[in-house]
Amino acid sequence: MNSSSSRLISAGSVIINSLMATAVLLITIPTSQAHHSFAMYNMGKITTFTGVVTRVDPNPNHLQVFFAPMNEDRKNVERDEDGDPVLWAVEMGGSAMMAREGISVNSFPRGTVFSISMHPLRNGENAGAMEGGLFQCPEKTPPAPGMHCDSVEGSKQFFGKPLEAEK
Amino acid sequence: MLNSQDRFSVLFTAVRTVTFALSMVSSSFAQETAQIDFVSIGRGAPLLVDANQAQLTGSTMRTMAGFGPGSPREFTGGAPAGETPPGIEPLPVDIFTSKDFYQDRELWSDPRYFRCNSPAALEDLWGANRSSLIGDNPPVTAAWGLCDRDYPRAAIVSPYQFKTAQEHYKALLEETTSRGGPTKHTYETVPGEWTGRYMHPGRTPGNWYWYRMRHNQMPTILSLLTPEYQTRMVQEAYHHANTNAAQWPSSYCWPEGFMRRWHEAAVWDHYIMVTPKAVQILAGVVRNFITTVHIGREFNLEGRIPRLGADVPRWYGETIGFWDEDALITWTSNIQGWKNHAAPEFSNAMQTVEIYSPNYDENGQFKGLNHEAIFYDPESLVEPVRIVRNYLKLSDFDEGEPYTFVECVQSIFPQEGRATSMSPGQVIEYEIPDMYGRPWAHLWEEYFEKEMEVPVEEDIFSFE
Repeated sequence: MNSSSSRLISAGSVIINSLMATAVLLITIPTSQAHHSFAMYNMGKITTFTGVVTRVDPNPNHLQVFFAPMNEDRKNVERDEDGDPVLWAVEMGGSAMMAREGISVNSFPRGTVFSISMHPLRNGENAGAMEGGLFQCPEKTPPAPGMHCDSVEGSKQFFGKPLEAEK
Repeated sequence: MLNSQDRFSVLFTAVRTVTFALSMVSSSFAQETAQIDFVSIGRGAPLLVDANQAQLTGSTMRTMAGFGPGSPREFTGGAPAGETPPGIEPLPVDIFTSKDFYQDRELWSDPRYFRCNSPAALEDLWGANRSSLIGDNPPVTAAWGLCDRDYPRAAIVSPYQFKTAQEHYKALLEETTSRGGPTKHTYETVPGEWTGRYMHPGRTPGNWYWYRMRHNQMPTILSLLTPEYQTRMVQEAYHHANTNAAQWPSSYCWPEGFMRRWHEAAVWDHYIMVTPKAVQILAGVVRNFITTVHIGREFNLEGRIPRLGADVPRWYGETIGFWDEDALITWTSNIQGWKNHAAPEFSNAMQTVEIYSPNYDENGQFKGLNHEAIFYDPESLVEPVRIVRNYLKLSDFDEGEPYTFVECVQSIFPQEGRATSMSPGQVIEYEIPDMYGRPWAHLWEEYFEKEMEVPVEEDIFSFE
């Protein structure tokens, strides 16, 4: 093998590796091709929730899932002093990208129970950016007290990753 | 500022456009459905009633001549503000006097509940479109429409046998195949005369159609809807007619929504471009409407809704189509449900079959397009409905105004539940809307329906 063909193969390998790396990044780190800064989120902190979907917003920035975190016994949701559900938002990847992963308005209707890890906002407000895997519980089947959907038989895993450990 | 030459130019263009339009009226819309030389299974069926021959229901200050500076405004209705039409017995409670329209459901089928006003007239009463007919003790003194006029339901529902858009499109494709099609156009054979500028459909003389909501009694439109969507339409009518709290999406630069394409005040001139693989229809007013007909493609039928791309509802859907000679037959799906003021809300299940056919004058010259649309939405409609209208070609692209791409910058914000013009520097309290949860209804319920028995939503939070 001469040096020029070696360089070609080497360059091809680099390109293929780069494309693969990009594809992996697009799937696993949806924030890498962002339309806004993600510096609002605290990347050093991770929180994991199990919640009830109130709305999936496929807006053109990134898919947002609005949800009410479940209480510790998983029989209802956290409430504010007026008794209204506390709402959180989790920002994910682009809507089309997420739909190709199986997360859409149609697959996550209101009332869906799911578990997700996120980097919360630095300012303490109720929103975060997804990190790691996502689990969807079977319909109307929340997990046992203190547990998440990854513990429920028949739950559906997304992104092929586990929930992140809190930190 | 325009100089005198510019002003003359603008005036000349306007006069020429109006003159051109008026010259086309007599021959443009003598026919209402497509000119085809065979009886089709799913297109071109005659209209039972031509809306151009029907009378406005009112009450309104419009005329059948439509919009424009030359249109004289005169009262059309049963009784002006503060009066009752002779021979009509008012109901003890109507939409203008009710404190809780939800409790009046059994009255919704009586035109007198709406004082015989059409849906568009109900929105006009407080002056939404510049002329007020609400009277000096609003809303109690609201004017009456004409109780003996209505555009018949039978002329609104689809004349075809199909239950779904998919079934309809498939039948048309089979029909076209049996006729030797679909036609595979090249750049040499594609009907290039379609490419060009078309007049605003709502301002095209002689282009009335029922969905402009000016020839109808409210109960007739409600009879087309499922109970949930009946409630939604009466809710909007109440807040148009009674509380004067209109929530029109484009007020706030919210999306216009798919059905806005048929609203009489929306989408101005249409810019149509025809190629062998795609036909693009571009129009706009507060937002841009782009319909791209993907010729020869097929929908992905996996999942809940047929679609071309990812499983993401699109504000104006996705469209496929094929040619049967010079007729373009299309199917649109994957539409985001939304609203259109003075018209029914629609759901994500909405799908359409739309057929574009050429109109020719008596000399065989191309005049424009006939646009026949059949709407399938089992969540909002009890049966499919049809709208037929025409596009009048103004020119090719080598003359006239270019398309203006619209960017809506919000200057109106909800304040105490009412759309309110704001100025730079004003500081307001603003609640982030739940855009996919009927944000207009949230405003009504929050500010005007506290004393009403609002239907309770299903509890999704309890797993006891």
